[in-house]
Amino acid sequence: MKGEQLQRVRRTKRNQLLLFLIILAVLTIWSAVGTDFTPGALWGGIGDGARFLFVDLMPPNVSEFPGLIQPALDTIYMSFVAMVIGSVIAGLLSIFAAATTSPHPALQIGLRAFSAMFRNIPVIIWTILLVASFGLGKLVGTLSLLIVSIGMLVRCYAESLEEIDMGQIEALRSTGASYWQIITQAVLPQFMPSLVGWSLYNLEINVRASTIVGMVGGGGLGFTIQSGMKLFQYKEVSMAVLLVLCIVLVTEFMTNRIRERII
Amino acid sequence: MTLLQVENLKKVYADGTAALGGIDFKVEAGEFIAVIGPSGAGKSTLLRCLNQMVGPTSGKVIFQGADTINAGNRKLRQIRREMGMIFQGFNLVERVSVLTNVLHGRLGYMSWRGALGLYSKSDIQEATRLLERVGLGEQIHKRADELSGGQQQRVGIARALAQKPKLILADEPIASLDPAASEVVMNSLYTFCKEDGIACLCNLHQVDMAKKYATRIIGIYKGTKVFDGTPEQLTDEMIELIYNQNKGGGADGLSAGEGVNDSSRGLPVQKETVLA
Amino acid sequence: MVNLSKVNIRGAKPNRASKSKNNRSLKMYGVIGGLFFIFSLIQLQLDYSRLLPGILKFGKTALLMFPPDASEWTHVLLAAVESVQVAILGTVLGIILAFFLAFLAADNIAPNRVISWLIRSLASLLRAIPTLIWALIFIVAVGMGPLPGVLAITVGAVGSLIKVFAQSLEEVDEGVIEALRSTGASWLQIVLQGVLPVALSALFAWCVMRFEGDLAESTILGAVGAGGIGYELSHAMRSYQFDQALFVGFVIFMMVFSVELVSNRLKLKMRKRA
Repeated sequence: MKGEQLQRVRRTKRNQLLLFLIILAVLTIWSAVGTDFTPGALWGGIGDGARFLFVDLMPPNVSEFPGLIQPALDTIYMSFVAMVIGSVIAGLLSIFAAATTSPHPALQIGLRAFSAMFRNIPVIIWTILLVASFGLGKLVGTLSLLIVSIGMLVRCYAESLEEIDMGQIEALRSTGASYWQIITQAVLPQFMPSLVGWSLYNLEINVRASTIVGMVGGGGLGFTIQSGMKLFQYKEVSMAVLLVLCIVLVTEFMTNRIRERII
Repeated sequence: MTLLQVENLKKVYADGTAALGGIDFKVEAGEFIAVIGPSGAGKSTLLRCLNQMVGPTSGKVIFQGADTINAGNRKLRQIRREMGMIFQGFNLVERVSVLTNVLHGRLGYMSWRGALGLYSKSDIQEATRLLERVGLGEQIHKRADELSGGQQQRVGIARALAQKPKLILADEPIASLDPAASEVVMNSLYTFCKEDGIACLCNLHQVDMAKKYATRIIGIYKGTKVFDGTPEQLTDEMIELIYNQNKGGGADGLSAGEGVNDSSRGLPVQKETVLA
Repeated sequence: MVNLSKVNIRGAKPNRASKSKNNRSLKMYGVIGGLFFIFSLIQLQLDYSRLLPGILKFGKTALLMFPPDASEWTHVLLAAVESVQVAILGTVLGIILAFFLAFLAADNIAPNRVISWLIRSLASLLRAIPTLIWALIFIVAVGMGPLPGVLAITVGAVGSLIKVFAQSLEEVDEGVIEALRSTGASWLQIVLQGVLPVALSALFAWCVMRFEGDLAESTILGAVGAGGIGYELSHAMRSYQFDQALFVGFVIFMMVFSVELVSNRLKLKMRKRA
């Protein structure tokens, strides 16, 4: 009886997997047809891409380096400023957005929807939108990064806040502590490691995103890359890309180190 | 004046489980009362209804002449700060120092300063003194999660004492501890309550501990009070009755432990326990 | 879009320092971070006088967006479908490539250390360059249209999936591998019989998360000319047809948001099973 059941479960599981794979294959083929994609095109594309990468882009024009320092620094500054301000704002909002700490369920749902909007409209769209009213430059770049940082961090913070130990909160509540006392004295200490962890992760994302933001007018290295592409100055482009690469890798390395030290 | 008066206290949880079915008792100043009963009997809910961590469905809880159930936010904080609470899982804020954890006992007396963690000098001195009193004078700057279970529970006691309470509610204070640590913790709890003239209502699983320390024992079964008397009156037959009433009832008794929220099954994290 | 377990996984290295010391270094990094924040703000020299007029103008632009203009909806939806197709194709190709490379990169089963190191470095290179830049590169190389989009997504997905796949493979219990090795199983047998079944559900979870990210990416690739709905949006914005832009923006939001919902549901399910 039991063995039979087990076998039936196994069979349905296998069938489910098979069905899933078939659907996936159909979807993939549908996508390939829709995008005029063929294995040949893939092969050719990779070939062309590689040729462009290694012939047109190489070697990077190192003499451009001094001129790229300022945009590179701007990229870092924008990412960092957006991360810090975003963390502070998202920190406050997430307290109201997490089921465990929210004073009212309506506030919770409202803030979640609000942050979902910030998060799910891609950063490049925010930049295009903001450029129309704020003009080109670093202000727009910082603001766009700030908006998506808040969107992402509210969600991540709130999820962490929902996993905190309610016992510690209960204990402080029983001493007669008020709402804000509980938030700062019981919630914050527990929340600190994930707050820092998510913020560092957000910094990494900002550094990547800031290049994208730059392409549509937000300043920094992205702008250099975009204009270089348009002017066919590929050797300068590759120098800028190389810098992006360095900044991203260094940021990742440093955030990992900090994370290990404090969590 | 009677310190605490409980009348016809009932609690039905949102999912329909009746945890308390109308409980009456009084606590006088200086009493050390052990509350015993099988898991799921409603001991933990009872304690949490007294300081409104869980809102009772009906009944009366009068603490020092004040109606707890209908108290406003401010009044409730005043009531809570005079009732210390000790938990089975210690519930210390793990990532901050032992000293800060004791200082948390002062929050009910503070305003925004408490939110910023700006404790007064006298509070810090008092907290240090309390930690020395529970025998942890050496550990005050350690992080709370670096201590052993027994030590953590003693910090929990110091936190409750820092509130300068009239009554301490102890919810299974030794259920997560080994026998040696249990003895130390029960001993300190009893001694300090006696020395400071604090009444104590202590949920216990161990009947021997209850008999050893309590001045009075209350037996709870399925949300109703089935025994209330001195340790001497708690005969073996009585114990049998409190814990094994279900023997005749068969399957009915087996379900007693389910659904009803008891701290030994994890905290009752219903809507009520969420910040209010 | 957001990778939930990343922080935990990355922070999971054993840590020898005492806990109070951790608290101290947290404070130290806090102070350094605060100082660097002030320094950055000064260095950025943001023009704050543009902030208020900008917000007002933004409000006016926002008003111009209403009511959203859905008259071009067939066009927009077709572009949306193309974005989805680009995302699916790019993710599937990325998964296939990363799947094979990850086995050569995971420390515990990699047949050759040098190859493993090479693949890992390659992956972090691919990952570090944003997808949009890859799209720009491929546009120059193969021309406009969905193909550079697919290639860019594939490259980005390979980069990130190799890393997380290898991580999941490395989490497989060493004992399982040892036991199979002791029976005289070949490398392929160990991988297929011992490692793969254990790690499969984790790999699947990563794939879902990757698709979530890739769909978000694919919606914006059009802004630089790589096909899909992003083009419709940047076109509408640049020609000041804000009401059309809002409709396109709404469609993009729905696409990304619905995938987030589905993947949240899946994540919950996985967590329950774990």
